[in-house]
Amino acid sequence: MTMHDKRLAKTHDDILEAMAEALAIPPSKLEEARSRYEAIGNWLDRPESTLADYDPAISPQGSFLLGTVTRPLTDAEEYDVDLVCRLNATKAEFTQKSLKDAVGYEVGLYAKAHGMTKPDDGRRCWTLNYAAGAQFHMDILPALPDAQRYQTKLLAEGYRTLAHDSALSGHAIAITDKTLPHYDQPTEDWPQSNPTGYGAWFRNRMLVQLTESKKAFAKRERITASVDEIPDYKVKTPLQRAVQLLKRHRDCMFAEDCEHKPISIIITTLSAHAYNEETTISGALQSILTVMDRYIEDRGGAAWVANPVNPAENFADKWAEEPKKSENFDRWLGQARQDFALYLRANAFDKVPELLREHLGPQLVDRAMAAVLPVAAAGLAAPAIITSAARAEDVDRAQHAVDQINRAGPQSKPWARS
Amino acid sequence: MLTLKEVKAAIAFDQPKLRATAADRRILVEGSYLVSERDVVAAPDGPIAEFNIRMELPDLYPRREPKVFEVGGRIPRNPDRHINPDGDCCVTVWENWLAASRDHSFGSFLKGPLSEYFLGQFWFEKTGKWPFGERPHGLKGLEEAYADALGIANKRESLLYHLRLLSQDWPKGHWPCPCGSGKALRRCHHQDLMAMHRRVPPDIARRMLLRLDPKN
Repeated sequence: MTMHDKRLAKTHDDILEAMAEALAIPPSKLEEARSRYEAIGNWLDRPESTLADYDPAISPQGSFLLGTVTRPLTDAEEYDVDLVCRLNATKAEFTQKSLKDAVGYEVGLYAKAHGMTKPDDGRRCWTLNYAAGAQFHMDILPALPDAQRYQTKLLAEGYRTLAHDSALSGHAIAITDKTLPHYDQPTEDWPQSNPTGYGAWFRNRMLVQLTESKKAFAKRERITASVDEIPDYKVKTPLQRAVQLLKRHRDCMFAEDCEHKPISIIITTLSAHAYNEETTISGALQSILTVMDRYIEDRGGAAWVANPVNPAENFADKWAEEPKKSENFDRWLGQARQDFALYLRANAFDKVPELLREHLGPQLVDRAMAAVLPVAAAGLAAPAIITSAARAEDVDRAQHAVDQINRAGPQSKPWARS
Repeated sequence: MLTLKEVKAAIAFDQPKLRATAADRRILVEGSYLVSERDVVAAPDGPIAEFNIRMELPDLYPRREPKVFEVGGRIPRNPDRHINPDGDCCVTVWENWLAASRDHSFGSFLKGPLSEYFLGQFWFEKTGKWPFGERPHGLKGLEEAYADALGIANKRESLLYHLRLLSQDWPKGHWPCPCGSGKALRRCHHQDLMAMHRRVPPDIARRMLLRLDPKN
């Protein structure tokens, strides 16, 4: 890339965008993950598959569904691709164990056919490990449709609106858990999950900006497709960018204490609540970091981060028994608020404060900055030039600030006591 | 009662260079106050100006006035700069703000009078003018500010009489009307005075009166 085709940053948002881009999964990697899980789907659905009669379907959940994937902190770590494998069957046909085993059998065959190691048998998932170079693994969650029971429970708990909203509760699933006593018995009361409903809720929280981003994308790429034809993963809203930056900040801050770091689903849920369709990443961060903790409820003395599509589920259920988790959340939020606010409110766009740099990863920040700032900005002479240029404009900006206040009506006049 | 939590929430994102701590029946806020444009989350060139301050917020805020000191020495200690020799900033006539503004939260003070005061100081540094005007010093300034708050002409006797009426929880209708017509209030400008009474409630009127005329 030469200096001429570099798109130079002019604002804090340009820098945040560059950082978020640098910590997001590269498009080629995303494409690779996508084609790999589609290959698993095709395998499970092939004519000779023992599951073929049940129309198995593989779909992403978690950050791959939400568009908030971040790169692992080091090259040695892997992307964790969370997938749901849903069979079109009922609990009359399977026990939790027989479902887990049936999916495990086919996933095992897939691994064998592709020269991979045997999948790991987790509490709820099968984990498929790829060769080291692939840099990801797939967690495959065996599941059955279970919307009716899910909606009945929501109704019984008083959540009528949710129960009647098919986008939010109509795709709930029953999942397996090998630690449960009735794991190998035919029962109705399987554990449940609703990743598709959660994804729909998250998408709703940013629908305006999602549409706007797609329009901008179509214009930029000079394509005539309607907004509905552009897949969500082609664009990123300020909410998704903010969540990526916050997750990264969390990863760096708790690099030494992964066990008790604030979990992504809590950060994502509280961020989406606090987000108010701001059009910029800085605006999104301001809203999120200012009010996200107000969405932690107090239910009978217990901190409660409700699953928005199943409010009886508490994402923070571990906080009561492990106070360190709750303390770490508070510590993280305080630090993130301070780090981002110091950059956005107190610094020029090309000066990233040291703590924010450290908490997003110095290499990543430096790389992102180098990509969007003139080479000279890294040198010693540049800051002086920028500062003096800024000073000349300060009076113009002050004039603007004065005009704003005069339009709204000033509230005070200075005085002197004596 | 003002809480540390409320103060911290108000400065959390918008003023990241300020720190709040609780001290004996007051809250101390110290650090650098950033002057910026309204509704701008992140100005590309950074804040317009910064002032090192120390703020003392009594726990009875907003009934008691906060004290603001400029501690960096940026503002010359000259009464014409609306600052006392010890750095005590005369941000505004407190009761005037209480009467003129509906939201008396600490956040509102931070974004209102405090922001106007320091933007004004920066503007004066550059232009030698006060962008939102200024009050005369001492008693004259108080009278002008109170007359503004009441929306009446700035005449001391009339102001004091209005304030005596307004200090009552239920202004006495048989008192002479402040317009000077000689009629009883209830037969003259009663409606107007009651509107003023809603705008300047008795507790604020009593404090205005006390500051103008300590004998009251």
